[in-house]
Amino acid sequence: MNTLPISLQKVRAETRRHFFGKAGMGFGAMALSSLLNSDSSAEQQGVSLPAKVKSVIYLHMAGSPSQLELFENKPALGRLHNTECPQEYLEGKRFAFIKGVPKMLGSQCEFKQHGENGQWVSNHLPHLTKVIDDLCIIRSMHTEQFNHSPAQLFMQTGNSLLGYPSMGSWVTYGLGSENKDLPGFVVLSSGGKTPSAGKSLWGSGFLPTVYQGVQCRTDGGDPILFLSNPDGLSRKSRRKTLDAISDLNRFQHEKVGDPETLTRISQYELAFRMQVSVPEVMDISRESQKTLDLYGAKPGYISEAESAADPRRLYKSDDPTFANNCLLARRLVENGVRFVQLYDWGWDHHGSSLGESIDETLPIKTSQIDQSIAALITDLKQRGLFDETLIIWGGEFGRTPMMQNNVNKELKPGFIGRDHHPHAFTMWMAGGGIKPGMLGQTDELGYYIAENPVSVRDLQATILHQLGINPHEFNFPYQGLDQRLIGPTDEGSVLHDILA
Amino acid sequence: MDRSRFFLRVFFSLQLAGLLLADQFLLADELDRFNRVVRPILAKHCFACHGRDEEARQADLRLDLRDSAVEGGAIKPGFPDQSEMVIRIDSKDANVVMPPPDSGGKLTAAESLALKQWIAEGAKYASHWSFTPPTRPDVPGDNSWSSHPIDRFIHAKILTHNLSPNAVAEPFELLRRVALDLTGLPPTQVQANAFLSNPSDEAYEALVDDLLGSDAYGEHWARMWLDLARYADTKGYEKDRERTIWRYRDWVIQAFNSDQPFDQFTFDQLAGDLIANANAEQVLATAFHRNTMENDEGGTDDEEFRVAAVKDRVDTTMQVWMGLTAGCAKCHSHKYDPISQVDYYQLFAFFNQTEDSDRSPPTVASPTVAQRTALDQLDGELMQLQSRFQNPRNGFDEAIAVWMKSFETTPLWVPLVKSDFHSEHDLQLNQDEAGEFSVEAELPEKDTWILTLDLPVGTQPLTSLRIDTRPKKSDGKWPDKNVALRELTVEIIDSDLQPSLIKLKNPRADFSQKGWEVTRAIDGNFDAGWAFSPKASDAHCAIFDFAEPIERKEGRRIRLTLEQEYGQGLLLDEFLVSTSVHPINWLRPDLDAATGLSDVFRREVFPATMQLAEKISTNRDAIKRLRSQVPNIPIMRELAAGKRRETRVHIRGNFLDQSDLVSPAVPSAFGALPEGSLQDRLGVARWLMHESNPLTARVAVNRLWSKIFGKGLVETEEDFGTQGSYPTHPDLLDWLAVEFRENGWSRKQLLKKIVLSKTYQQSAAFTDHKLAIDPRNDWLSRGPRFRLSAEMVRDQALAVSGLLTTKLGGPSVMPPQPDGIWKTTYSGEKWKNATGPDRYRRAIYTYKKRTSPYPAMTTFDSGSGEVCQIRRIRTNTPLQALVTLNDVAFLEAAGALSVRMTSSSNRLTQQIAEGIRMTLYRDATSGEVDRLEMLYQSLDFDSTQKERMLAAAGLDSGDPRMIALANVLLNLDEFLTKP
Repeated sequence: MNTLPISLQKVRAETRRHFFGKAGMGFGAMALSSLLNSDSSAEQQGVSLPAKVKSVIYLHMAGSPSQLELFENKPALGRLHNTECPQEYLEGKRFAFIKGVPKMLGSQCEFKQHGENGQWVSNHLPHLTKVIDDLCIIRSMHTEQFNHSPAQLFMQTGNSLLGYPSMGSWVTYGLGSENKDLPGFVVLSSGGKTPSAGKSLWGSGFLPTVYQGVQCRTDGGDPILFLSNPDGLSRKSRRKTLDAISDLNRFQHEKVGDPETLTRISQYELAFRMQVSVPEVMDISRESQKTLDLYGAKPGYISEAESAADPRRLYKSDDPTFANNCLLARRLVENGVRFVQLYDWGWDHHGSSLGESIDETLPIKTSQIDQSIAALITDLKQRGLFDETLIIWGGEFGRTPMMQNNVNKELKPGFIGRDHHPHAFTMWMAGGGIKPGMLGQTDELGYYIAENPVSVRDLQATILHQLGINPHEFNFPYQGLDQRLIGPTDEGSVLHDILA
Repeated sequence: MDRSRFFLRVFFSLQLAGLLLADQFLLADELDRFNRVVRPILAKHCFACHGRDEEARQADLRLDLRDSAVEGGAIKPGFPDQSEMVIRIDSKDANVVMPPPDSGGKLTAAESLALKQWIAEGAKYASHWSFTPPTRPDVPGDNSWSSHPIDRFIHAKILTHNLSPNAVAEPFELLRRVALDLTGLPPTQVQANAFLSNPSDEAYEALVDDLLGSDAYGEHWARMWLDLARYADTKGYEKDRERTIWRYRDWVIQAFNSDQPFDQFTFDQLAGDLIANANAEQVLATAFHRNTMENDEGGTDDEEFRVAAVKDRVDTTMQVWMGLTAGCAKCHSHKYDPISQVDYYQLFAFFNQTEDSDRSPPTVASPTVAQRTALDQLDGELMQLQSRFQNPRNGFDEAIAVWMKSFETTPLWVPLVKSDFHSEHDLQLNQDEAGEFSVEAELPEKDTWILTLDLPVGTQPLTSLRIDTRPKKSDGKWPDKNVALRELTVEIIDSDLQPSLIKLKNPRADFSQKGWEVTRAIDGNFDAGWAFSPKASDAHCAIFDFAEPIERKEGRRIRLTLEQEYGQGLLLDEFLVSTSVHPINWLRPDLDAATGLSDVFRREVFPATMQLAEKISTNRDAIKRLRSQVPNIPIMRELAAGKRRETRVHIRGNFLDQSDLVSPAVPSAFGALPEGSLQDRLGVARWLMHESNPLTARVAVNRLWSKIFGKGLVETEEDFGTQGSYPTHPDLLDWLAVEFRENGWSRKQLLKKIVLSKTYQQSAAFTDHKLAIDPRNDWLSRGPRFRLSAEMVRDQALAVSGLLTTKLGGPSVMPPQPDGIWKTTYSGEKWKNATGPDRYRRAIYTYKKRTSPYPAMTTFDSGSGEVCQIRRIRTNTPLQALVTLNDVAFLEAAGALSVRMTSSSNRLTQQIAEGIRMTLYRDATSGEVDRLEMLYQSLDFDSTQKERMLAAAGLDSGDPRMIALANVLLNLDEFLTKP
């Protein structure tokens, strides 16, 4: 006997044939309601809670922005600016690049309080302050990893090594997609590079490959690989060839009787529909000028940075690539896509080479995202989608209150930077079921968490919970373990304090 | 009604799940019942807290051991109602019920009933089936279907399940099926013609032998192993830089093609470096465990990622050979299988002793066969040339004797005699009869000397100047015996004229200090010159050629200025200055000037040896060039005795938090290293392959079986432990395992045995009855039919269209992929679409970048090579349709196929029929021909569309409608599926 209940084995056997779903019903829903005879199996699967949201938009700032220039107002750090770091903060610590005794670095910006909750936000995010009362800002995030690739993997897959399913894969495995013509898990990237850990960040690990994220490209090529018919073959002609394929496949099915043949026929039909539905949903020129202006989006814009060997030096503050992706994210969730993951590269502000500084690069990057993120929230609200969408913003770790000193020992314009900091950083969540406000605090220098520490596993547990998935029960048996997004131990727990 | 019959009745009244469970329960014999039904229930719901893991254990109760369960009262054999376990399971009280509500687990009614039934029958435990070494079971006696042992095992189960086997598949199906299974390619035309013209048993066996003997066999089956070996062309993680390790891939292909026995295959890969007198190929094989990832990201701790790699080696070894998931024991003792945390780190200790540490070294130069052959030839030629150079004939001895004698009249070097000397410190310079100078007094700290010398007797122009230094006197004020000749200038003095500067060239010395090379003594700059630390206490010499030979003239002298102002007394003490009249290429900076003269004669004077010298030089260049092209492959190498690491248990798997010291040992539940083995990786390899190991042979045959039938006899190929699935045919599995081992671990023989069975040769046709009773074909009453693997999908399309390049081995290639797929942080490496033959190589040669694997391949479920991939889950998605419809590889295949179809006949219907024959190896039905003809007639391309369609298919001229037809053929379910 298999390790799964028989009923679930049957589901597995069925589901591997399906990519999106059947006739308007989410594939997950189909898998878990129509095919199951035994309700208890659904409970074991962990998909049993009432869902607060239908979709997730996860905005991952790859490289990790500095919390000390965005959300963490630390006057005490300012007072210690350019003095040597107190020894107590250095003992027994590992840094990626900092050597010896670094100097403290006060925030390179102005802070003000905004909104009803008096949230501290820096002058780099003027648009965001307008929707600040919709956010729950968590200033007490911490992680176990301090290098990009393992930390990104840990954030997105719950394991710092390669080979584990990403959050989006887990979610679509559990819930499927709401739209039969679109993938359930879509990835959009900007900033000129894929994130450090590469496509493993949206890989399906040990889950079937149908659950891997589908990267939709916005750089001029097919939005989904191989989506376009060959040059010269019209859609009408493609229809004719597909009809012939279907007919010949039916002959084959009559002869052999393999149900898989019928599945193949339907998947070819779905591919044909996607050839229209995907470019349609990916076409932001269908949006009104008012909406485009709200986001600062520019249809068809292809940034120079997207094809550059080193995009960092080509960053411009009015580059609309990320804005376009935010607008796409809204279009995708509006069309029933379950999990939309945006990666924006270029947030690794060490200050050790050109184009990666706190003082010059960070303001460019924030102007690329500020307006569009605020617009995304505004737009979701005016369309009534905000309450059924969960929005998450953050990097893979934080940045040190000390300046990075391995290249420049002294402050030098264009080369002011901070090293990786796993002990405390800021993320925010917004949308359905999230109580606006704040959670957690760091010490007066922003080095350690002073209250309400939030782990990556807590965050992951909370995201699953909002989708109606019990993070502790939701699992997949692999390598002798009931594998879960939140890992094998029970250290992760849902952040009930921030839930409405 | 007795209790057990009551339970069984309840069983049958349950839904689907219960039915299957009851079915298994009844079919299993008594001991099997525990393994097949009861243990999985206990494992799923109970063992996490009442199993092996001593740290997680609750209430000091173990339910995996009968004694503990009975003593604790959890189980009262024969009396389910009085067993605490049953009472707890049935309880409605949240404080009492098991499993506890917060664990999330809950027994289904069927599971609970099964436990009660088992307790009622006496609660008999049995050891897990796969942990007892296989013995050869009796083959079932019924040979009514077939006498082949495999068929007799299979037939018995078919009958039990109220099924009957299918008839033999049609010859064209069998032909394609066996060719695809054994070589990953469709049959060649020759193979097809031979078999289809006479589809007899003998012809079939001949076809199988032919396929097993082809190079394509290894290229296909190596893929399975490379998935396990997590082979890729890059290192992984952020930078994901290239790693040259394709020679290992070729080693695997070769090992399959030569049918290397599985035990030797194992020894070489796990411990080739430790085998006595290992050859280069055996060392290369150890690259198996160098396929682990390396992290080149800045600031990462090499030790952290070295440890991660070693853990991966332990996990992969256990997964690949024993089908066990040791990985969880990194953090805590395995909850289900007998691998404790200490066991894990004892095993880790064997693998923790190699030199590599998250960096490329150690590597070994690993020439390909072609490179090896070329190098051997060049080396042989070189030896011959050198021997002829050293032992020349044709008057050499006479000629050199005459030449040497000439130096008696015109010596190679003639010492010059001092005519005047000036020192800023008024030193005196003495000269003895041999021409040697020496300073009489204590050397000053620094000085500049001007030494005027007479030219020697003779008429020939002077070609070169030489300075010999002798070891300095050991007494004296200055401890450092080095000399710093910062600058040397030479002038000619004719009696009536101003001194004129002489240009020097080709400075050379027997030895120069680093940074103080002899060239710097004549570079017109005082900041450095010629010196010779750390060999300051030896004699040295330097030679400077005159840019223009110095003609003799009455009264002509030369004047040397020796700037020695460095300080610390680094001045010449005893030395000699001489000149030569001989050609400068005869003059070498040898301390003993006569040394090497015979070599000079060979290289510079005697024509026959001069030619040889040139050939030697050309040959050496060629060797050097070739050697620089030989790939350096990372390998395993054991640390030297004094540098061995100690291994400790990592608390919760954290390498920074280590506790008790452990020594190397294999998990105690699986015996010990075989007698005579050392405590090293080779010992581990021998333990894996030893006949007392219960798992290795079973796991290996199951894996081959699964590739052929689409599913293993044990479906969870990756888990033979207590959490894995139970074999559908335990006896057959054991029979195959023993057969494999006793037949010298030959994979080719095992595969041949399988494909010669009637089980394999059955038609794949489904009936409603079969679909209802056995939808997953567990009982094999029909032939295997499933979608081809990612690699086969590509290779087959290239093969039937005639595009396939059949080149064996070599560096990985980059067939076209859409632009912009690689956007990896900082690596700067680029995908360059191959042109020419490399565009159409088999998929196994496609460059695999871990963070960005070839998209058309991953769409068809191939992995990224990041970690050991035991099993690919087959999917059927619209993205796959888009690949075969629109990817350039498949469009070009359609183009080439359309040309073949068009040229096969003048008639469209014939062309269509040919297309079907070329792709499916069968006659087209009239329905198919009609349908495709209709398609052809309905398609319409204007001239622009035609041109574009041809270009997309890689053709200059052709018929776009036929390309569309070929595109249809390459997308048929029958084509993409093993028949």
